[in-house]
Amino acid sequence: MPNAILDPTGTVTSAAKPAAPRAPRLASLDGKRVGLLINTKQNARPFLDEVGRLLADRYGVTLTKRTKVNFAVPEPEDVIKELVAENDVVITGVGDCGSCSAAATADGVVLEAAGVPVAAIITDSFIPTADAMAALRGAPGYKYATTAHPVAVLTEDKVKERAAQVLDDVVALLIDESAKDEA
Amino acid sequence: MTAVNTEGAAASAAAPDPDEAQRAIEYCYEQGWSDGLPLVPVSKPLLDAFLATTDKDPDEIIGALEQVGRDVNVRTAAINAAMAGCKPEYFPVVLAAFEALMRERAARGGGFQSTSGPSPLIVVNGPIRKELGFNTAGGAFGPGFRPNATIPRAVGLIVRNAFGIHPHVLEQATQGLPGRWQVCIAENEEESPWEPFAENGGVTGGVSAVSATLTRTMEFVDNRHTPNHEDVLRDIEDTVNRMGSLIFPQTSVALVLCPEHAQMFAAAGLSKADVQNWMIEKCGHTGREFELAGKENVPRKPDGTFATGEEFHRILSTPQQVPVIVAGAKNAAISMVVRIFGEWSGSSVPVGEKK
Repeated sequence: MPNAILDPTGTVTSAAKPAAPRAPRLASLDGKRVGLLINTKQNARPFLDEVGRLLADRYGVTLTKRTKVNFAVPEPEDVIKELVAENDVVITGVGDCGSCSAAATADGVVLEAAGVPVAAIITDSFIPTADAMAALRGAPGYKYATTAHPVAVLTEDKVKERAAQVLDDVVALLIDESAKDEA
Repeated sequence: MTAVNTEGAAASAAAPDPDEAQRAIEYCYEQGWSDGLPLVPVSKPLLDAFLATTDKDPDEIIGALEQVGRDVNVRTAAINAAMAGCKPEYFPVVLAAFEALMRERAARGGGFQSTSGPSPLIVVNGPIRKELGFNTAGGAFGPGFRPNATIPRAVGLIVRNAFGIHPHVLEQATQGLPGRWQVCIAENEEESPWEPFAENGGVTGGVSAVSATLTRTMEFVDNRHTPNHEDVLRDIEDTVNRMGSLIFPQTSVALVLCPEHAQMFAAAGLSKADVQNWMIEKCGHTGREFELAGKENVPRKPDGTFATGEEFHRILSTPQQVPVIVAGAKNAAISMVVRIFGEWSGSSVPVGEKK
């Protein structure tokens, strides 16, 4: 009986992770509390500011803004708790690099599991890494919004244009009008 | 079965079966374990030989990437080291290198996933260099020497297999860099005029130790033109100053000096600290120069404002941002400026001895 060839991947702890549930959608954003989780990447702040401004105009939402502790990794537990306590929905981004796009989806999955609908915004160059991270976190097929890469080099006007373009996708990620009966 | 040479004469009957070896190598490729080059298929007896070189428990966790929910224990590290082509006796160096690397904030954070595609620079000091047959002389950045070549590859395979960071998926390197997972320098202590690098990382007394940091690329400084050490320092300074590499208010560079440059500096009375202080003092740009590259948001000052116009912005401020290592042959005055990703932890790890 020959020796087996040994597997170098070790114990894949993520395989044992239970499926992360998605938060129930809101029936509407009217008057809701929206948290903007800004990841500090160039143009992330004006991008999310504009998304927030448009939502305030359209739905009368109130905004709270927070900067990610470290764009490259998911937020620590205490920050997640505060985000859950302070907001009805969270919008995070802009994931435009290897680690921060993955971190944006990871934050999204964790917040969803805690009951808060999230719209993570990433640039379209990072779809594979965002999908891989969501699957690792127990949420394969997790939905997020995308905008064309790059964002970092856009002028102020272009950033606003992009924010306006992605707005409907962001709203669609956060609400489900058929959920009105439950609301 | 026997091996056969090209003339058709049978080689020793004791030679291994190449067909079986090839099947085993292909099997490893098919599992997705390879970095692109052939792997050594690992069996239980080979793993046991690796584990016998350390006092560590095979189940001990030696690193974790929280964001991807993966960790690595001693056993899995040993399998990857064996696959990389390490000999069992290299394993304590692999463990020390991995520990040193995981002390880096950038490595624990998103470094391995980064668009910059950084690569470890591993530096080995002490008697272990000779004991294991490291190259300590010419061709310091490789290739040609088994421990220098296989130990960084082992680290790369751990990241790929144990952490699950695969190219185009969780690894998003835009271009990466030549020599990724291939650079392990054994310092040329014999021809260095200064203390071993491990002492700068806190390991003294000539104990074998490993240091590691993440790097983005390197560029040579070929200056065999002058007996004036200040001219050479200015030449190195010019390379350190590359605007293209500057993305934050502060940067970090390792100077891998050839023995000739190091000895020239030492003969002029300079310590490592003097070389470092030269760079700290001189390296930087004016606000205007940053602006011309569209990087006016890079020279941020501690008060939150930015250097503008003719205001000079220094890009280095502590010796830890300018580690100095001596490597290579004493046959030409060629040194290397290595661009560090993030910042060196400033700590070296002693190579564990089996008690």
